[in-house]
Amino acid sequence: MSSHKPVSFADVARRGDDPLVTLKREALMPLPGATDEPDLQPPQARWLEKYDFSLDGHSDFDIPKPTTPEEEQRLVKGFLSGLQKLFDPQSNWPFVKLLKLSMDYCVRCQTCSEACHVFQGSGRQEIYRPTFRSEVLRRVYQRYFTPSGKLLKSWVGADVELNGKTVWRLLELAYRCNICRRCAQVCPVGIDNALLAREIRKLFSQEMGIAPKELLQKGTRQQLQVGSTTGMNRAGLKDTLEFQEELIEEKTGKKIKIPLDKKGADVLLIHNAGEFMSWPENPAAFAILFEAAGINWTLSSEMLGYDGVNYGAWFDDVELARIALRQVTIAKQLGVKKMVVGECGHAHKALCVIADRVLPGDLSLPEMPRESCLPLLWQIVQSGAIKFDPARNNFPITLHDPCNVVRLMGIVAPQREIIKRVCAQPLRELAPHGVHNYCCGGGSGFAIMDTLNFSQWRKAVSDRMKVKQVLDAFADVLDPATPKYVTAPCSNCKGTLRDAINYYGLWEKYRIMYGGLVDLMVNAMVDLPGGFIDLNREDL
Amino acid sequence: MIFDDFMVGFGWLAAALFVGVSAYRIVRLARLPLNVRWEVYPVPHEAKEKRHYGGSYMEEVDWAATPRAASPLPAYLEIATEVTTLKRVRDHNGYGMWPLSLAMHWGLYLYFGWLALLVAGNVVHGAALAYLTIAVGLAACILGAGGSLGLMVKRATSQDLRLYTTPLDYFNLLFLAAFFLAGLVSWLGDTSFAAHKAYVGSVLSFRLAHVPAAVATSFLLFELFMIYMPFTKLIHYFAKYFTFDRALWDDDFKAKGSAKDRKVAAQLGYKASWASPHIAPGQTWLQQAQSTALPEGRK
Repeated sequence: MSSHKPVSFADVARRGDDPLVTLKREALMPLPGATDEPDLQPPQARWLEKYDFSLDGHSDFDIPKPTTPEEEQRLVKGFLSGLQKLFDPQSNWPFVKLLKLSMDYCVRCQTCSEACHVFQGSGRQEIYRPTFRSEVLRRVYQRYFTPSGKLLKSWVGADVELNGKTVWRLLELAYRCNICRRCAQVCPVGIDNALLAREIRKLFSQEMGIAPKELLQKGTRQQLQVGSTTGMNRAGLKDTLEFQEELIEEKTGKKIKIPLDKKGADVLLIHNAGEFMSWPENPAAFAILFEAAGINWTLSSEMLGYDGVNYGAWFDDVELARIALRQVTIAKQLGVKKMVVGECGHAHKALCVIADRVLPGDLSLPEMPRESCLPLLWQIVQSGAIKFDPARNNFPITLHDPCNVVRLMGIVAPQREIIKRVCAQPLRELAPHGVHNYCCGGGSGFAIMDTLNFSQWRKAVSDRMKVKQVLDAFADVLDPATPKYVTAPCSNCKGTLRDAINYYGLWEKYRIMYGGLVDLMVNAMVDLPGGFIDLNREDL
Repeated sequence: MIFDDFMVGFGWLAAALFVGVSAYRIVRLARLPLNVRWEVYPVPHEAKEKRHYGGSYMEEVDWAATPRAASPLPAYLEIATEVTTLKRVRDHNGYGMWPLSLAMHWGLYLYFGWLALLVAGNVVHGAALAYLTIAVGLAACILGAGGSLGLMVKRATSQDLRLYTTPLDYFNLLFLAAFFLAGLVSWLGDTSFAAHKAYVGSVLSFRLAHVPAAVATSFLLFELFMIYMPFTKLIHYFAKYFTFDRALWDDDFKAKGSAKDRKVAAQLGYKASWASPHIAPGQTWLQQAQSTALPEGRK
């Protein structure tokens, strides 16, 4: 039971700029052990004048508040128009069935609440309960679109007034869920409240053009127009690969020519292009491993062919289909046998799973297979083509399971088998782990959303459960004399861990670091000089 | 006589409406477009060696070229287990709803079992069947009434649950409790359920028989509930087939030219009539996907 001031659904329509809840550090879920967690800072005064912080004092949207009744009315009308389209079998064919099931059959037993790391991490703030935003949406929909809601009103719960504030708070609420879908996993009816969060995001994006700029303008739009969400074009990629080759030589003494646009290769490897910028050692490690294992592989220099991300997976079906179509077409034109997705969780899910039914038959999975890198990496280890010395990785280690790869694709075992073979110490499993893992807190775009003060909310609230899990896993070895490694085979998870480690001071206090899986593998390669992972790195 | 006549007709009407409206809603759901893949693991029809930890066929290399022999049986067993034990509520609900919800659900299952026994009692005679009918009928009404009333109290007294409980939700629970309690009251005047059996027999044979008031009230409430239920979310038991089997566990990828592929191809021809600047007006989903050359000012 929550100890916070009760929030009702009617409050969502409350006028004024006062937030529905004000977060305090001391009311959040307690963490084991001491951290350097700072106090939560209120929004800057200059922001408050212009932007809306009326949900919880946080926002990623630097969109000016409506200042006239006409502007507010436009917001409401756009929302209602989008809501109608969400339930239209043509306009929303990809998800309308799941949407209707989740809207119509939730019995509000709140079984999902205990599964949500945001709700738990916040200290059980009502507005973050998985059912809260769904219930607001349901009540608005009933009130405006169903005969029972129009007729029976509050008797059936159709009692939420739709005004500019309701619309705005629903937008914010849609971006307080990581869409990790742990709630759907435990629901006795199979209701997917995370999907409803995504449907709200989609309504705003597809009907009103409103989405976090990191996801739309700097995300999918930029990727489709330039080639990558990082802004890297083809020329930039070629420079980057030259740098990669230098990095490999510097770290290993090996000269490797990274294959580019090699027609008919067995494998087209597609990374999250953010890796080249933020963790260049990760794509370098892939190159080292693939070359050492004798894999006939290539990268692509075509626009979108070198960036496997697909932010559409988080908020927009049209953008999702556009990006997936181009990525798979590039592979098809290159004549490769299959696409393999590097360490990027949502790229896995978007390319290997969701895209399956938004692409025409020629690009179906049997026509152009799309696989995770993890089974291939495990095959490399099993093949014996590379010799590993686990003693090179002799430090306490844990493994974060990226939701998109594990809970949403069922790829659980290969990464564990690899760690067993390339690390000296037994894997310290997080509790819970595998398909029951908790999200890192950066899922569904949060890792890259840093406009206004949104990232403060993410670090304090949605990252919190992961920080607790990591501290619990290393509870007996917290002494900073012992470096510790959190393996996260996903770019967004790594970005989130990087920020969380800094925010909570986990590097300074406990020498907890993070990195990818391939980094560990290369670090353990016998015929390399070692030191691929720098346990004393100061650049975290 | 007119009332008895009505009771026979109403029994059939309730059954017909229950089946008809339920079927209509099932067909409406089934005819909605094929959704994109959106599965959540563990998926019960995965290979046995992977199922227990939530693993999938995507853990293998070259899975798209490897034939799969997935049996639907484990998935149906999982749904049946959920329906009969509510294990997700037991394992994850933090509000102590499981025993009450389980009692209410088993009250309903047993009530239908009791009806079947009453039907059987009109065909076969024997002491064992008679005792079983009494035991099942009483258990159904006690569990059902206890569970429904308990859930009402639970929802009304928990601040967290109360927020999400509408007057209609209370009404639904009250309705359930009412016909279970009416069953108990009717049993007090008909401890062998002989009059209940006679009523069921009269409905089946279309032969009018006198129905005592308490028995008539009990069956009337139940039949009204049968008519009412398919219009509400109380029929979430069939929704589970769609949410679990057709969504959360739907891990089947399409092959070129397959029935699924043809369905998707047809759906890609639907109009994506969204109004955002980055979506071109009047285009189909496939055209949208193929085009980024948006009209001036719509980028």
